[in-house]
Amino acid sequence: MKHFRNFSIIAHIDHGKSTLADRLLERTGRVTQREMVYNQILDDNPLEQERGITIKLHAIQMDYKAQDGEVYKLNLIDTPGHVDFSYEVSRSLSACEGALLVVDATQGVEAQTISNLFMAIDQGLEIIPVINKIDLPAAQTTVETVKQQVIDLLGCKEEDLILASAKAGIGIDEILEAVVERVPPPTGDPTKPLRALIYDSIFDPYRGVVVNVRVFDGVLKERDKIRFWNTNQAYEVDEVGILYMKRERTKVLEAGNVGYFTAAIKALTDTKVGDTVTLASNPCESPIDGFKEVKPMVFSGIYPAESDDFEDLREALGKLTLNDAAISYEAETSSALGFGFRCGFLGLLHMEIVQERLEREFNQTIVTTVPNVRYKVITNKGETLWVDNPSQLPDPTHIADIQEPYIRAQIIAPTEYVGTIMKLCIERRGQMLGQSYLSADRVDLTFDLPLGEVVFDFYDKLKSTTRGYASLDYELGDYKSGELVRMDILLNGEPVDALSSIVHRQKAHEWGKKLCKKLRELIPRQMFEVAIQAAIGSKIVARESISAMRKNVIAKCYGGDISRKRKLLEKQKEGKKRMKQVGRVEVPQEAFLAVLSLDD
Amino acid sequence: MLGFYLHIPFCDKKCTYCDFYSIESTGLIDRFVDTLLTEIALLPCDERPLTSIFFGGGTPSLLQPEQIRQILDHIHQKYELDSGCEITMESNPGTVTQASLEGYRAAGVNRLSVGVQSFVAEELSFLTRIHSATDAQVAINHARSAGFDNINLDLMFALPGQTLESLTVSLNHALDLQTDHISAYSLIFEPGTPLHAQLLKGAVAPQAEEYDAEMYALVMERLAHGGYEQYEVSNYARVSSRNLQCVHNLTYWHGHDYLAAGPSAHALHRGMRSWNHRSLTAWTEKITAGHLGHANTEVLTPEQRRTELAFTTLRADGLPVDRFQAEFGVDVRVALQPHLGYWISDGLVEDRGTVLRLTRKGYQLCDPITLTVLDSL
Repeated sequence: MKHFRNFSIIAHIDHGKSTLADRLLERTGRVTQREMVYNQILDDNPLEQERGITIKLHAIQMDYKAQDGEVYKLNLIDTPGHVDFSYEVSRSLSACEGALLVVDATQGVEAQTISNLFMAIDQGLEIIPVINKIDLPAAQTTVETVKQQVIDLLGCKEEDLILASAKAGIGIDEILEAVVERVPPPTGDPTKPLRALIYDSIFDPYRGVVVNVRVFDGVLKERDKIRFWNTNQAYEVDEVGILYMKRERTKVLEAGNVGYFTAAIKALTDTKVGDTVTLASNPCESPIDGFKEVKPMVFSGIYPAESDDFEDLREALGKLTLNDAAISYEAETSSALGFGFRCGFLGLLHMEIVQERLEREFNQTIVTTVPNVRYKVITNKGETLWVDNPSQLPDPTHIADIQEPYIRAQIIAPTEYVGTIMKLCIERRGQMLGQSYLSADRVDLTFDLPLGEVVFDFYDKLKSTTRGYASLDYELGDYKSGELVRMDILLNGEPVDALSSIVHRQKAHEWGKKLCKKLRELIPRQMFEVAIQAAIGSKIVARESISAMRKNVIAKCYGGDISRKRKLLEKQKEGKKRMKQVGRVEVPQEAFLAVLSLDD
Repeated sequence: MLGFYLHIPFCDKKCTYCDFYSIESTGLIDRFVDTLLTEIALLPCDERPLTSIFFGGGTPSLLQPEQIRQILDHIHQKYELDSGCEITMESNPGTVTQASLEGYRAAGVNRLSVGVQSFVAEELSFLTRIHSATDAQVAINHARSAGFDNINLDLMFALPGQTLESLTVSLNHALDLQTDHISAYSLIFEPGTPLHAQLLKGAVAPQAEEYDAEMYALVMERLAHGGYEQYEVSNYARVSSRNLQCVHNLTYWHGHDYLAAGPSAHALHRGMRSWNHRSLTAWTEKITAGHLGHANTEVLTPEQRRTELAFTTLRADGLPVDRFQAEFGVDVRVALQPHLGYWISDGLVEDRGTVLRLTRKGYQLCDPITLTVLDSL
């Protein structure tokens, strides 16, 4: 066991995590230079590569012959790189004894890095600070500041820092040596009953769920009868192995090691991240701490663009949940959009990923509604209702209290943007809890914010008003009461359920005005005038109108025009299919996301 | 019903707005006529009598009366002509004389279409026409003296710079002439034309939709008031004991067959549409080599036929309810609900029993109504 080292890499997007991982694999002979050229090995999903983020976890074992002459088995356990997946990050960190903190020498520390770093420190991980990209010309002027930031942050000494460039191959040996020297070997007792942590699981259509685990105590063997502590499901293990570039069968996995097993498990819902695996007949005394049921935080309606495709969409969602257990979905009906699903996601990025996967991998053409959070409604009769679709909020006269989820947001940015960020957060009903300076020109701000205000375009706004310099991280807080009201949108007097939203009473007027204006831009003129109204209950708070089309006819259609005209009409007819009919009004699908692009 | 369209692709000068195929090399006309005669010989036979022949262009009046006679003779040798066969020739007022008009009439042409476009000098100059307002009036009088008793007059509106007042001037002139038929087109900026290029450069601007609509309303109203019945978006026939609607154009709009000859001409024959090369050279080569002049053909599926019939009848004298039931098994009144109800109550469509017909307000919005009809059928 003293030859195992389990570690992960904590880094902000673009600070070089994937390149560094690739370089470590190359240095330990796991992949060749040739394979390296166009790939970042760990991010193997095209969506991950495009967005430069890690969505699913990966792990890989490397053999490294250290300067002491011994060969060590280094398990690199990757972490997902986005705030939506912070629970998964915490679980993969708890499978490790150490972490590389990678900071870009030209960018400095970012919010997401800090929150993941604190998570790692809380779990007692040994932190190895790495200043990356030191070969960049810009680094010459910034590296000293960044070094000081890291020293202040960790309370470490300057000699603890490793200066590196993953791209140029600088400092790679020092990093590998530091992993061996500084990261403690795993502790654990191979003679005790099995106690292993699930840090990830993926669905393989041929073998069922492949569970990735870190074994803390005992030994996991093929043919073992195992039980998952929290889901209480029992299975017989088929195959056990470690993760090299591909899965490699070893039949056993002993305490301290990281690997995978299969057991003809059909659903990811049985293998929850953070759960403990033990033996059915000889269980461990207690589970591994920190297990949480992951709950969706952001909800949105997903509808087929053409109502005939409802069953196809159901099938696609079913398949998608096989390898993404965090999605929830249930059928719902909208008078504007027809039959569809109300889906729950971990966060906004997760929502976008699901939408893109539905379109790309499952060929679905979908209409999505504006995301919202789940509200807690206490009725006058004292009942508690959970509302995740604004159109289902009960009549205000029946409501005693509405509560909404809050987050604690941490924003790190250059000091010159403090004013802008405060303004944005206050507009979003945020409350500042504190600010501290990371260095003379970087500030760390903490706010409590309603999540409902963040799911709109908060992140984009934050990025655009700070020229991309601010970084955001958040953790979920409590539910708090708010003066919330449902705002409906009416087109020619008919309410459009898919456009209803829950907003703060004081912002409702402004919101209604903007939304009506935006809809006026997005809804094309019809053969009649269209009235757009925003209403709270029966009170109209804003209105706009779209004047009727006056003339729309091509003057000529003779023998030579008919074929061309038919083809044009056929094409226009296809376009019309993507319009949704609300009463007599044809509404383009973009309109259902109008709220997301409201200008301030 | 069986029509025959002949495309004469020559002009003395191309108008900037026109996107019909036409060239200014009038020296090639004689050879073109020979090729056209060859093409007629190559066309498929049809036992049905021709109900209309149409010389379009280009400027067919650049052909000598003798050449028109020759072409008609060739057609007559191959096809039977219905006793009332309508034979139309388009003409440019700047290219006809009393003598030539007499010649065309004697050659068998019995309907003359005169491309007047406007009676306002500035507008004619904007359209780069080669004739004057007086030329137009003279040409129509000459046509009458030559024995034409079925004359169409073409007008255009929604021209940049045109006003309701100047349009009224043209309409009044046209009504004074009491031609048998009037076509009045709203200007189209056709991609590829010099006028469209001017539009892209910002050198000309189209009329605002609101004003365009007012002009169209004025045209429809004045012509109706002046004794003309509208039977298509841009076409009006003088109310008379004779039927003065254009038989040839109705052949297109009612989905009947038409033969075609000449470069760029389109035919619809026994379920197949074909169109000739839009190049005199390419077309001539094909014909000379003993082939038809087709650039391409398409065999229409029943659904495509239904689509075409729906939009061409709708923009003309109405969607034929019984025909849709008989040919396609569609009850259009049922299929078009709930829209039809709205359209009728909004005064866009009238249910005339045998047809669902656009009103004047409906013609203004013909294209979106058409799209909804196609989407519902």
